[in-house]
Amino acid sequence: MRIFTVILALFFALGVAAYMTLWILLPRQGEATSILTRTVNDRRDKEILFAVAIAVLTLLIAFITMGVGLPGVTLWFLALCCLAAVMVWRGASNDEKESLSQLSTDLAKLRIGRNDGWRAVALRTGFGIVFIIWGISLMSRVSGENGAAKFVLGGACALVLGLFVLFAPWWIRTFQDLSTERRARMRAQDRADMAAHVHDSVMQTLSLIQRAADDPQEVTRLARQQERDLRSWLANPEKFGAQSTSSRTLSQSILDVESEVEDNYGVSVDAVIVGDAPLDDSLLALIAACREATLNAAKWSGTREVAVFVEVEHDKVSVFVRDTGCGFDPTAVAADRQGVTGSIIERMRRHGGTATITSSPETGTEVELQLPRASHSS
Amino acid sequence: MNVNQRPTVFLVDDHALIRAGLRAELSGHVDVIGEADEVAAAIEMIIERSPDVVLLDVHMPEGGGLAVLRAVTKVRPNVKFLALSVSDAAEDVIAVVRAGARGYVTKSIEGPELVEAITRTAAGDAVFSRRLAGFVLDAFANRPQENSFAPALDPELDQLTPREIEVLRLIARGYSYRDIAGQLEIAVKTVESHVSAVLRKLQLSNRYQLTNWATERHLL
Repeated sequence: MRIFTVILALFFALGVAAYMTLWILLPRQGEATSILTRTVNDRRDKEILFAVAIAVLTLLIAFITMGVGLPGVTLWFLALCCLAAVMVWRGASNDEKESLSQLSTDLAKLRIGRNDGWRAVALRTGFGIVFIIWGISLMSRVSGENGAAKFVLGGACALVLGLFVLFAPWWIRTFQDLSTERRARMRAQDRADMAAHVHDSVMQTLSLIQRAADDPQEVTRLARQQERDLRSWLANPEKFGAQSTSSRTLSQSILDVESEVEDNYGVSVDAVIVGDAPLDDSLLALIAACREATLNAAKWSGTREVAVFVEVEHDKVSVFVRDTGCGFDPTAVAADRQGVTGSIIERMRRHGGTATITSSPETGTEVELQLPRASHSS
Repeated sequence: MNVNQRPTVFLVDDHALIRAGLRAELSGHVDVIGEADEVAAAIEMIIERSPDVVLLDVHMPEGGGLAVLRAVTKVRPNVKFLALSVSDAAEDVIAVVRAGARGYVTKSIEGPELVEAITRTAAGDAVFSRRLAGFVLDAFANRPQENSFAPALDPELDQLTPREIEVLRLIARGYSYRDIAGQLEIAVKTVESHVSAVLRKLQLSNRYQLTNWATERHLL
């Protein structure tokens, strides 16, 4: 049936119209509804159809006012065909859509084909040359004619179309090759970066670990250092290595303290930080006191683990440094001992904060630092 | 679980070394009744053997621990999950906890602590590490400017009671449940029920910070 209609369409434009109308009105074999009913029942489809109708109408009016000499009937007929095509495209069932898109990709292959057969090349070149000649001839007729604008316009269009048909495949392929190459280069770059980093860090650490195999503390230290290193690299490869010079927030500074004590004393310092704040003078003092407390725990407590908990609230910052080690008697510490009194208690008091030390042989030691905050915005 | 019996445990981890290490540390304290190294086998065997506790590696190929948890919970709601993670970053395990795990421990955990965590999980209690406690405090903190575009908070689910905050802070400071009970002068059982309540909120709350963690990592 379709083949017959196509043949008919070659001779009579009416055939196209009839085919379109039938396509829209009649339900397809094995389907309950026709395209028309589907389109009418779908609000979005109706809207799209309406929009396209307006666009086509505008185009028609533009053509007519420009005085393009197409016979009125043909023009209206073309417009209706456009609308019908849109309707079919929106309302077609999935099967139909698939076969339609298959058809269009086949067509596209013919034109832009990646593995150009000589026929496609010949066809394309032919089309391109015809359009160019048509364009040039139209433009060359400009002088001495009335309504020359339409010829210039049409000629330019034909020229552009011709150039496009001729050069589009080449242009598209160049573009694709370029992006493929760029992607490949980026991948190679990534791999090189990765290899460099693995060599600089992991390989070095592994060889250090082999050499220090009989010193478990050193091995633990190296492993933890490497782990921290890798983790920060994974989290943020671009900024890696850049942040060590200056840390601008409380949490980064606390993490620096954590790694410093871990690296120097071979204990594991685990910091849990809730919230964050930009650094100021009193926070720097808090961090210094925290560092001192952590160092004391690492040096004297006898345990391998120090727990640091930092919480930033809107009105205060609290720091807890706790170990489950041997403990000591805070009251027995001489007042002139710099470690506890000067570096922790006095320092906190100078900045309006407090330091409380609780310690016993059974439960270990906990240093609690509190610092009230001026009304910060966060 | 029978009170007199040791809890039965199933191990899911794609690293044979880790499984062997866990087995060695757990032997004599709990009954390890099976292990699996990939998702499909794990689901099948856990459903078949129905252990008290599944020790579940979070980072596994083919959907990972989350897939195992979801599939098993549908069929065997009584099986309890304890997530096991190399990293102690809470955002890695938050999706697993929200999917129903009773808590999580890191792979660097010492043997006795792990046994205690498993026993606690088997009894139906929650297992919070310091870092998870810190994360919950962070996620449930009231920061008005961040919540302005978030849905209205349900006080039942989206807010912690002052007591729960106290308990979480003590966990984050490194205290055991027993120490916390001593400090707050309450029973250990009460501490456990506070932590379980927090776990429930962590799983059911729609707080922006919680859902955001998971969706950012395409885990929901």
